[in-house]
Amino acid sequence: MRYLLRRLGHALLLLAGVSVLTFLFTALAPGTYFDEMRMNPQIGPETIAALRAQYGLDKPLPLRYVFWLSSLVHGEMGFSFAYNSPVAPLLVVRARNTLLLTITSTLLAWAIALPLGTWSAERMGRLPDRLLSLGTAMLLVIPDLALALGLLVLAVRSGWFPTGGMASVGFETLSPFNKLRDVALHMILPVTALVLSTLPLLFRHVRAAIADILDAPFLLAALGHGIPKRTLLYRYALPAAANPLISLFGFSIGMLLSGSLLIEVVMSWPGLGPLLLEAILARDLYVVIGGILFSTFFLVGGNLFADLLLYWADPRIRTESNAQ
Amino acid sequence: MKKPTANFKRCWILSTLLLSAFTFIGRRAIASPPEKTTEKEELLVLPGEVGRRGERLVVSLRGEPKTLNPLISVDTPSREVIGTMQADLVHINRATQLTEPALAKSWKISPDGLRYTLVLRRGLKFSDGYPMDADDVLFTFRLYLDEKVHAPQRDLLIFDGKPVSLQKVDSHTIVFQLPKPYGVMERMFDGWAILPRHLLEKPYEEGKIAQVGALTTPPNQWAGLGPFRLKEYVAGQRLVLERNPYYWKTDAKGNRLPYLDELVFLFVPSADAQVLRFQSGETGVISRLGAENFSVLARDQKDYAMVDAGPGLEYNFLFFNLNDLGEKAPPEMIQKQKWFRDLKFRQAVSSAVDREAIVRLVYQGRGAALWGLVTPGNRRWADEKLPHPPRSLEKARELLKEAGFSWGVPGNGDSWLQDSNGKPVEFSIIAQSSSSERSKMAALIQDDLKQLGMRVQVVPLESRSLLNRVTQTKQYDACVLGAASYDADPNSDINVWLSSGGLHLWNPSQAHPATPWEAEIDRLINEQMYASTFEQRKKLYDRAQEVLAENQPMIFLVSPNILAGAKNTIGNFHPAVLEPYVFWNVEQLYLKNGTENAAR
Repeated sequence: MRYLLRRLGHALLLLAGVSVLTFLFTALAPGTYFDEMRMNPQIGPETIAALRAQYGLDKPLPLRYVFWLSSLVHGEMGFSFAYNSPVAPLLVVRARNTLLLTITSTLLAWAIALPLGTWSAERMGRLPDRLLSLGTAMLLVIPDLALALGLLVLAVRSGWFPTGGMASVGFETLSPFNKLRDVALHMILPVTALVLSTLPLLFRHVRAAIADILDAPFLLAALGHGIPKRTLLYRYALPAAANPLISLFGFSIGMLLSGSLLIEVVMSWPGLGPLLLEAILARDLYVVIGGILFSTFFLVGGNLFADLLLYWADPRIRTESNAQ
Repeated sequence: MKKPTANFKRCWILSTLLLSAFTFIGRRAIASPPEKTTEKEELLVLPGEVGRRGERLVVSLRGEPKTLNPLISVDTPSREVIGTMQADLVHINRATQLTEPALAKSWKISPDGLRYTLVLRRGLKFSDGYPMDADDVLFTFRLYLDEKVHAPQRDLLIFDGKPVSLQKVDSHTIVFQLPKPYGVMERMFDGWAILPRHLLEKPYEEGKIAQVGALTTPPNQWAGLGPFRLKEYVAGQRLVLERNPYYWKTDAKGNRLPYLDELVFLFVPSADAQVLRFQSGETGVISRLGAENFSVLARDQKDYAMVDAGPGLEYNFLFFNLNDLGEKAPPEMIQKQKWFRDLKFRQAVSSAVDREAIVRLVYQGRGAALWGLVTPGNRRWADEKLPHPPRSLEKARELLKEAGFSWGVPGNGDSWLQDSNGKPVEFSIIAQSSSSERSKMAALIQDDLKQLGMRVQVVPLESRSLLNRVTQTKQYDACVLGAASYDADPNSDINVWLSSGGLHLWNPSQAHPATPWEAEIDRLINEQMYASTFEQRKKLYDRAQEVLAENQPMIFLVSPNILAGAKNTIGNFHPAVLEPYVFWNVEQLYLKNGTENAAR
């Protein structure tokens, strides 16, 4: 329990820190949302000054931070200049889509990496292992962007997959089953891109962790007792190797999240990515801050989840924290 | 419960009498369209090809619209969408660039040019079936003029600090009283969407007008007079509009427009993704295309046809920092400004810039070289007498020599230009990194000027930082930028022309004109603004263009062509060079033989 509370405290502290820093950095960035209006011949400088005042941009930074905090408490997370509406509802809708993409990709990547890594570790040094290592090394060096673009080219050339978006036109007229199918079809490309971009790293870690443990005396003893290889691998080796992998799990959520922001823009997935990019370019401050905070929140949440898993999986942590 | 409702007064009485729960039901009942009026409709008959009813057209928007509220919209996607949902009193035909009747079927201008009497069409209805009359017009302009609403276009209704005033003569006649004669005349009515009073009066009185028209507004709470109305919005994905059954235009055969049943805007975050969607057939129309993407699409035109509508109203230019930086300016900058202020220096730069090369290399030939602010796309206002001197390095060198510049030790391989004090001529050009075209232009200019011995660095900057430097901190040497007039009329660029204007970029917002020629331009522009005939205005405006060209504060480079494309099945597709390039006749667009364009 103490362990959990401490972790939670850390997470909250991190979120607060991130909010202060993003606030500072967005304020330091040159230009404001209203600068673009100056280039619009129809809008006079007085109108722009009035708008700035209306949104409180003429106030000092600490005061703006306090305002923002109070709006956070009210569940608004500030006000978007561009959308003329509170930020939170804008983000929530899109965060759902980002989560759908990220969670699916995380689960899928691990579902592939675990058995593949174990299988490869068992055959360490033999041809299949070498081929897999070579393949993952190649995937590792291809930038996410190139991967996504390549997949898009495939989609256009073949016509098998939609070239972006999350749903077809006329989605609302489909039956529930077809709706599910439609979304799944649209998810194939972005999920593939995300899985392919994280898989090599996960695979290599799993392989290394299992290979490490395979030489452990207790496994050799078990082998000597005649326990079948498969049982040995999945029931004894994998749990023993779980500790670093669980930490990696938390980390991989963060990786996929930052990867997904890029993939979302390229594949026009209606998640946080396109919104955030547009907001950054337009200096829509509170949307930027809110978006970053949401991403941090997911990241911290993922790590917290990993910590919990670790607590459950590793007796050492349990005794350590109970002893304190 | 804050949402605007159909009949505010009745509703208000109800709500004072009944419990709030009942009020809600009451509002719902009232919100349905009122009974049919017997008034005869005066529909506008459009000439041109007769199309076919039905089907859905899918198009992509780069980025998501932010609002449906014309009072606060500034971004391009919002304006594109709003353009298909709203209508104005007098409209500028994007193809002919001339005015034509819209919601007002006729107008009269008093001989002194101060009173505009507009007569509305009979039987007009908003897209929710609610009738529209002069009160809606009065209400609309009250909103645009209200300082608290912060409508970005408000300044266009203010003349010498005095706003235009409106009077209702009868339910279909309105008089606009101007404080001063205005040369733009009835063109000024274009673009002012007439808003539904029955929906907006309550939020306006509650001071919440900026919040209405969010994309999440329920469709029955939003209405306009345009060809399409709101049907569905899915955040981050798409906006679905449906045919407005009460639209006030018909085709030559008397069929009520628009032809399309549905217009779907998909939000696609990048230009390349837009091209992909169009190529794969998911979208039917593509516009605002760059030259490179256009060539890619033009290579393989089977199911679709690409259209090059010719130069638009965008003008790209190079300008030097001619601001008065005061005594705090670093000595280096004072030195540089000495060159920049020298007319011969600017003329030499202009003479050395190879505009044709920019057209060829940056726009793949799809643009027009430019020597003045008014582009060839602006047929009525471009000054044909404006000289188009060809590129000449010799002339440039001569001008520099006359201005006291000289070249460093010859025979040293490369000889660099230096001024009369022996200082090497060295400066930087800032350009928007987000616009690959403008970055390329800057690089080409760098190369051209190298041939004169000038050492030029190109500094790509993110758009807002660049604007911040140019308009606020004024820390820059030279800059490549572009602007687009929103209308063909000269007054749309008034802030560029006038020395007091915020877009007088080389030295914005001056209290008094810094040079005699700027004073001359101010005089010409002000005079044409209040001149009464086109010929008088044209003469004054031509002269202003000439003064600008003589003094080269802006070295004009190129005007890109308006590029678009559409599936072969789409009829009446005629892109124009004025915004909104392809949707100006959206009510006439139709699908020739539909099924393949329907949703997949």
